[in-house]
Amino acid sequence: MTPIPDDLKRRQTVLVGDLEQLDTHPVPSWDDARLAFLSDLSRALLAAPGVREFPDVVTFAYWCRKANLQALKDKLSRPERLQMGLGLVFHICPSNVPINAAFSLAFGLLAGNTCVLRLPSASTPTLDLLVETLKTLLNTPEHANLQSALFMLRYERDDDVNAYWMGCADGRIVWGGDETVQRMRAYPAPAHSREVMFTDRYSLCVLKVEAVEGLGDEELNAFCQKLYNDIYLMDQAACSSPQLIAWVGDGERVRKAQDKLWPVFADFADERYLLEPIQSMDKFVEASNNACTNTHIQSVKRQGRSLYRVQLDGLSSDQSACRGYSGTVHEVTLGTLEELTPSVTERYQTLTYFGYGPDEVSNYAKTAHLRGVDRIVPVGQALDMDAIWDGFDVIASLSRIVDVR
Amino acid sequence: MSDEKTQTTLMDWPTFGLGCEEKQNFFLPEMRRLTAHHMSACAPYADIIKKFGYDTDNIETLPDIPFLPVRLFKQQRLLSVPDAEVVKTMTSSGTSGQSPSQIFLDKTTSSLQVKVLSRIMTDFIGPKRLPLLVIDCEATVANRKRFSARTAGILGFSMFGRNVTYALDDDMSLNTERVQAFLDKHKDQDILVFGFTYIVWLHFVKALEQSGRTLDVNKGVLIHGGGWKQLADQAISTTEYKDRIANVCGMTRLHNYYGMVEQTGSIFMECEHGHLHASAWSDIVIRDPIDFSPLSVGESGLIELLSVLPHSYPGHALLSEDMGTILGHDDCACGRKGVYFEVKGRLEQAEVRGCSDTYSR
Repeated sequence: MTPIPDDLKRRQTVLVGDLEQLDTHPVPSWDDARLAFLSDLSRALLAAPGVREFPDVVTFAYWCRKANLQALKDKLSRPERLQMGLGLVFHICPSNVPINAAFSLAFGLLAGNTCVLRLPSASTPTLDLLVETLKTLLNTPEHANLQSALFMLRYERDDDVNAYWMGCADGRIVWGGDETVQRMRAYPAPAHSREVMFTDRYSLCVLKVEAVEGLGDEELNAFCQKLYNDIYLMDQAACSSPQLIAWVGDGERVRKAQDKLWPVFADFADERYLLEPIQSMDKFVEASNNACTNTHIQSVKRQGRSLYRVQLDGLSSDQSACRGYSGTVHEVTLGTLEELTPSVTERYQTLTYFGYGPDEVSNYAKTAHLRGVDRIVPVGQALDMDAIWDGFDVIASLSRIVDVR
Repeated sequence: MSDEKTQTTLMDWPTFGLGCEEKQNFFLPEMRRLTAHHMSACAPYADIIKKFGYDTDNIETLPDIPFLPVRLFKQQRLLSVPDAEVVKTMTSSGTSGQSPSQIFLDKTTSSLQVKVLSRIMTDFIGPKRLPLLVIDCEATVANRKRFSARTAGILGFSMFGRNVTYALDDDMSLNTERVQAFLDKHKDQDILVFGFTYIVWLHFVKALEQSGRTLDVNKGVLIHGGGWKQLADQAISTTEYKDRIANVCGMTRLHNYYGMVEQTGSIFMECEHGHLHASAWSDIVIRDPIDFSPLSVGESGLIELLSVLPHSYPGHALLSEDMGTILGHDDCACGRKGVYFEVKGRLEQAEVRGCSDTYSR
């Protein structure tokens, strides 16, 4: 690759690494040194003072602990095969879910690549902690070998800097929604380069009415905890947070189940969720806006301080445009799962379910020939990031299988 | 016909003479009438009211009146008259990156705005038209088809002045010769000075300071408004603002006003004691910034602005994104009745969120 021109160098801040040492030679995927590095990163993050205040960091740290990485390797790698990284992978990291930069890095490293990450321009406590921990770790003798393979940058909107990195990357990962993805695709890339693009997605939750009816007090509380995690932990800004709650069952029974669930859930959320005034205003504006533009909306109910319930009399083909943040759920009652089919587009990502078995839902997705829905997980696991995401194996996508005979 | 009757009755109200209890007899029925009017005349408004489940048959107090978020005017075209009756479309300045608000005025509303503004001004500067120095440039008012907040403000206040003189050239530079000539001409008279808070600061105060010149405007009364945000960003306090104006031109009578383009005309003027006052035609409610429940005197929250002026658009009750506190009712030392309050700045803006914002931040 061509050396970085000085004026481009000046326009970026290197937070982790020294670009003079950048080495684009790939290593085999699932390399032991990288597994060791990531499991040490896990340990270092969990030992960081105050880390408990960052549930997202803790989640990542658990994900990349040694046992889990080994399990992942057992599941996804084929040891009899030679699988290698591509070389240099450039990452555009997301700002709505800061911790995904860490996952992105882990995927790129495990695939066997040198990773250059562009972090979101606004600093966040999550990323500050990640950067500091990585810096310390790279300075230890056992991980010094990764100094040439791991870089984190920040720079303001800059066509030239983007063009430079996109122009020399063997692979690129863009977390950023449709607009960013289209913009990044427009930069010329080497012909052989691979891309992993995360576009705008829409997620929903299906609840079987019988299952909610049957919940005892304690179970109801446990269920609220799971639903709360899915909806509130990322302020609904994560693509996998449910936007739509589809109740499946008879209308009258659904109404009763709603009266059972939502008051308890709203109290649960009010006790835990810290809604900022601006979020409350944004929700109000959004709900008012929707009330006068979406004819499917029957009512907008504020339940407690933290929850808006937007009740729909049916689904529209552009349901995925109907989003909310910080605790705004759109609710619809359906007779059967099949009634979802017409509105499920390729935009649909995560379907969380309650009252169904995974086979039931996946069988539905299969027989209905759904274009969308890439994840089918129980309520409570909407935000569980993994190497299979948005419908592909990210690590496989960023590596080469060398056909050896 | 009925509109004219309303106007006459409205104009009988004493500008700052209604105590809060007495005011309920005038203001509340009119607000109920407006709510019903907009329900029947503006479909999007009716949709919101119905879908949010407001009980419009039982409005007992001001906080019971359904309110819209003021930002909605940036996103929806809200009007309660046929398009053909729109005589003026006002637009807000619009924070960068946002589309501006659009406010549609018919004859009735526009005439009410003028009358009410005039009554409020009379209370502060007397009924006589004073020579008016506008701290802005003439180009700002050149395009009369689309009204920005600045255009509306300048034209609105120009009606209370005579011999209107613009202090700034069209490139926003201060024309001290023109201002001096105006001052010479109106020597020993009270004069009215009008400008937007930040423009007065940047293009008058700082311009004079930089040139090292001073002007003698000690007989001037400055009416200024339009937000302190830019000054707050530069850490300019109200005291410093006043002091430095006094330094460059000897002007010590200053009245800040608070209001928004969405309710033009019903401005809240700052009295001699530094308190903002609602006139007979407007009122405010302070609401909890999270759940919007009404708060009591002394508690800080979102300012909801109420006004009986908007007939052509459903803007009679608007929840702003400004924070403020009610200081008291009926007992300000200046003698004006009604509610008085202070503004404490804007709601802190949210981070841009969502999947599509990776690169825009």
